Amino acid sequence: MALDPVLTAVGVALIVPISLFLGVIYSFLLRKITARLQWRVGPMVQMYSDLAPILGRSRILQPLYDVLKLFGKETLVPDVPHKGLFKAAPYLSLAFAVLAVFFIPFPGLPLLSAVPYSMIIASYLIIAAVMFTIIGPAASGSPWGAIGARREAELFLIAELAFVVSLFSVAYAQGTLTLWNLAIDVGRPLNFVLFAMAGVLMFLAMLGKLHIKPFDIPEAETEIVAGPYTEYSGKYLGMFFLTRVFLFYGLVGLFVAAFLPPLSSSLLWLPVYAAAAVLLVFLLSAIHTLSPRYRIDTALVSYSKLVIALGIASFAVALVLRLVV
Amino acid sequence: MAAVQPPSPSPSPSPSPSRPSDLMEWIKSEVVPEGLEFRMGNENRVFVRVKPEDVDMLAERFIRKYGVRIIHVTGVDLGIPGSDIVYLYDFSKQRERLVIALEANVPPERPEVPSVARVTWQASWAEREMMEFLGVTALNAPDTRHQFLPFEWPQPAESQTKQQASTVMKPAPGAGAVPGEEKWLPVGIRDAYSSLIPIGPYHPGVIEGQIVQVKVEGESVVDADIKTGFHHRGIQRLIERRGYNKGVFTAERVCGICSGAHGLAYVTAVENLYGAEVPERARYIRTLLVELNRVHSHLLWLGVVSDVIGFKTGFMLTWGIRERIMDIIEEITGNRVNYGIWRLGGVSRDVSQELAQRVRSIVKGVGDEAKPLLLDVAAHPVLRSRLVGVGRLSYAQAFNGGAVGPVARASNWKIDVRMDNPPHAVYDPAKISWEVITEDGCDTMARTLVRVRELFVSIGIIDQCLDYLSKTTGEVRIKPREIPKNAEGIGLNEAPRGELAYYIRAGEGNLPQAVRIRTPSYRNNALIPFMLIGSNLADVPVIMGSTDQCLACTDRFEVIDTKTERICRLTWDDLVCLSRKSSGGA
Repeated sequence: MALDPVLTAVGVALIVPISLFLGVIYSFLLRKITARLQWRVGPMVQMYSDLAPILGRSRILQPLYDVLKLFGKETLVPDVPHKGLFKAAPYLSLAFAVLAVFFIPFPGLPLLSAVPYSMIIASYLIIAAVMFTIIGPAASGSPWGAIGARREAELFLIAELAFVVSLFSVAYAQGTLTLWNLAIDVGRPLNFVLFAMAGVLMFLAMLGKLHIKPFDIPEAETEIVAGPYTEYSGKYLGMFFLTRVFLFYGLVGLFVAAFLPPLSSSLLWLPVYAAAAVLLVFLLSAIHTLSPRYRIDTALVSYSKLVIALGIASFAVALVLRLVV
Repeated sequence: MAAVQPPSPSPSPSPSPSRPSDLMEWIKSEVVPEGLEFRMGNENRVFVRVKPEDVDMLAERFIRKYGVRIIHVTGVDLGIPGSDIVYLYDFSKQRERLVIALEANVPPERPEVPSVARVTWQASWAEREMMEFLGVTALNAPDTRHQFLPFEWPQPAESQTKQQASTVMKPAPGAGAVPGEEKWLPVGIRDAYSSLIPIGPYHPGVIEGQIVQVKVEGESVVDADIKTGFHHRGIQRLIERRGYNKGVFTAERVCGICSGAHGLAYVTAVENLYGAEVPERARYIRTLLVELNRVHSHLLWLGVVSDVIGFKTGFMLTWGIRERIMDIIEEITGNRVNYGIWRLGGVSRDVSQELAQRVRSIVKGVGDEAKPLLLDVAAHPVLRSRLVGVGRLSYAQAFNGGAVGPVARASNWKIDVRMDNPPHAVYDPAKISWEVITEDGCDTMARTLVRVRELFVSIGIIDQCLDYLSKTTGEVRIKPREIPKNAEGIGLNEAPRGELAYYIRAGEGNLPQAVRIRTPSYRNNALIPFMLIGSNLADVPVIMGSTDQCLACTDRFEVIDTKTERICRLTWDDLVCLSRKSSGGA
């Protein structure tokens, strides 16, 4: 499909506020559902009437308020040799997360996902965004930051395996590396078997990338304070939070595009797209509520067992679908 | 040095109680023939004056031959006559409720005693404290570093060069196999910057102030040390100043969680001074409150450990149940934290029959509801993967290190003060049916299971107490008699964290001459380094949490003038004066 430069430019301009808003909503839902499952109130949808004049009518945008507050705070930079890297990492991480969003289709907005090999580009951009949450903390000179970065790197390796295997088995079965083609084409009727298996893999990858329990190992505050973010404060920390918001939107969008076609293909599918996204966030929240945190070594062992088994199986299914059916 | 061989995990049942004269004869002829002076206190508390040079030999005999524990080692500063060093030994497994206190007087010109920590490591912290606060030197002590003052004292840490900082390195208590072996751990952060992780004094995983220095290679812990001394309140001195009756309220404020246990241990110690009678109904009310205290403390602990391993849902769940227990406590005593119900010779308010009946049904409901939930939490697979095999403390280590409470019971050491040496409440198996819970896992999971099972035993005791209270009436307090001069009393109680000991020595007037508190965390915290070594960094907070540490009750406070090296303790009035001065008030 040929790209219309004007439409694409408009789409790219629109997708930044859309993804920011949806990422904030997903983060809010994660917090709210987790809170309700734990017998807590969580961020208020409708504020108590007596507090509303002071606190505002709703706290649905609470994750955004947190980021805005951080932008207003003092930013401290530790006196370390790699100050430049320390300062640049949040900017680069955020930039890559925003760039990744451009390559992920939204209902009615193909954006840059129609570019050939867009799936590979999107994967690399997401990987780069996570990469800089390792490099920055490693340069921070804090032992907590170093241990957090190390754990992040270990988790990253294994989460990346699940991420790549799940995406590429689908791409192989469908015979395309362009996300938009994946998003509009259901393909063979038997593809749903592959979508289910690869979807589970992708779900596991999302747990690791978004630091959702039991894989919030890099940020285990009771063990290693704030982990990678220990030395970060103010706007830099806010940028990492924003990165998380964009990544949340991007991963949910990628999940729907790759495993639930054709929900991203047309604006008419938007209600179903929203329902699927909320269901996905609900599942993430349920896992988040029901699990304690894994220790990094147990996590790696059990995670890799599951991922490798599922990965081989889904590749086999993809092979059968491609060659036989 | 060789570790003391502990007795087998299931000691033979204690012999039948003997008459006081037989007991005294046995002690004089067999246990301490070296004694200079023997005095029988109330309730089988025996005080024996010995020569200072004999204490290590006696400790060796007591521990090797009789397999007893040291409850505490402490000192009383008498001024010109020197100091009395008191060694409290728990003989309750040999004779009913027997505690032998060895007292050795050391002259002010040569304040030295042989180190008992050489014989058994459990006295190590107490000796370090004694050296620091009384100036009495324990000769050849395995560990002579400061216990509560900074290691570098009297030099401030900032003024030290790297050379000096490395000389602060002192032998740390033995790691690995057996407590008692010497080990060296660098204290200066510059020596091992890349791998020395300070956990504390302010760390999100551990709410209270302490430093656990953990040396890691990758994520595995190769060495560890603990340093306390960040809370200073002067509670012991406050009780000495405020007298016996007000002391009840001060003692309760040692700890906010086990306040009930402290209240009971204190009144038991004072009642032990004059041999008090306590009405039966008051005993039941005391038991009721201490067990409610234990239930809410164990629930709190379970929540904290869940939180530490990132299981927020478990935290919310257990604290939700705990809140209902707190409401029950509030309904009975009028207070949630410090009950204010303990009195010498009884309790201050009765529990009416109607209240007892109502509370009984609530407790039953809470118990039935909590049981499946808590067992589900304890059986959660990820939770098990975080707890099983983590922070191992073998039976021998627990015995030599002097573990108490659930930590000891999780290492299959069946000690429980309620059974062995009960406080002035009802724990007689003839009146209340209950059991001492032990587990043989020796790890954090075993500590969790001990507490969860103990919690249900406590709910059973509460039910029986409420049953009694709802069917009977009676006195709840008998006026205390005069306290004999220079008497000595020992009060023991099983706090939720383990054995809690109060040692009180009456003075000439109407004030105690000395009050000494040995809290359970004082013992269990000392064992944390042994559990940490060989574990994963991710397990450090949960291992530290598994002892249910409470630091506010562990630390002590004295003021030392660095110019003259004169030690003085601040009185209440001095503190008030100081606070007024610093706040610019009148």
